Amino acid sequence: MIQLIIYLLLFFIILTAFFAVFANSLISSLIALSILSSNLVILFVILQAPDVALAEVVIASGITTGFFIITIDKTGGRR
Amino acid sequence: MRRIYILALILILASLLFFTFYDLIQPKEFIDDKAQISEYYIEHGVKETGAINLVTAILFDYRAFDTLGEATVIFIAVSAISLLATKERVLVSDTNFSPIVYQGISFIIPFLYILAFYLIFYGHLSPGGGFTGGVVIATTFVLLKMTFGIRYSKEEKSLQRRSLIESIGALGFILVGILGIIMGDNFLANEGAGFHLGIAGQLLSAGVIPILNLFTGVKVGSGLAIIFHRLVREE
Repeated sequence: MIQLIIYLLLFFIILTAFFAVFANSLISSLIALSILSSNLVILFVILQAPDVALAEVVIASGITTGFFIITIDKTGGRR
Repeated sequence: MRRIYILALILILASLLFFTFYDLIQPKEFIDDKAQISEYYIEHGVKETGAINLVTAILFDYRAFDTLGEATVIFIAVSAISLLATKERVLVSDTNFSPIVYQGISFIIPFLYILAFYLIFYGHLSPGGGFTGGVVIATTFVLLKMTFGIRYSKEEKSLQRRSLIESIGALGFILVGILGIIMGDNFLANEGAGFHLGIAGQLLSAGVIPILNLFTGVKVGSGLAIIFHRLVREE
């Protein structure tokens, strides 16, 4: 059962990574990156690494997304 | 053509990631050399550092010099962004949210501060640590400024105060390290430098680790807040 969950999470991570690279607008690829790191957080919790999970949830899906949104907005990459 | 290159790169990296986790799911026999160091940490970590969270024990005691390097990376990022984005005027965000957003953000900010200081001060007892707590502090700044506008806090004074706080964090970390040399041991030494370890599991224990956690949290939080502030300015 837990193996099935891990395989599903890994598959979804690869899927969101593909979407992040091939998406048309930068904002959608940014949201895909955020979803990727959320999946990674669940994977870290399952693999019993709460420290890494905390760092990932705060840095990758939290503050990095905010910084990227501001940067994309300022450089005019929003299409 | 470029997409094909990207696709090939993604496939290579994805297969690397897959095989890494595949080994974790079905672990093979570890080679003895690799198993020795982790077993040493598990057996002697609590006795030597006094921190019951072994990840923090490694981050802030055995490999504290690496943590200093990580904090320096944030300092370099702050310097580079301050150099690149030096615009005079500040854009006041005209976005008006619904009252639910204002009230919700005002309600959630104190809890976020409590979470951040819990992560910093209990870093040697439970998952967390100075780095994570500092990022949570920076997140509160981001939320406040996004919601209530840039002019919510006084501009230049708070920026100067924040860079002062960041310098205090960096200097404190290095001074604690030099204290280890003065007491007659290595840079960033913990027990060997005469710091009292206390009873493992109590809040005031683990010698120098909570102090280093506090300095790292202060430094990371103020540094990321400065980065956000610099990024959000506009001509």
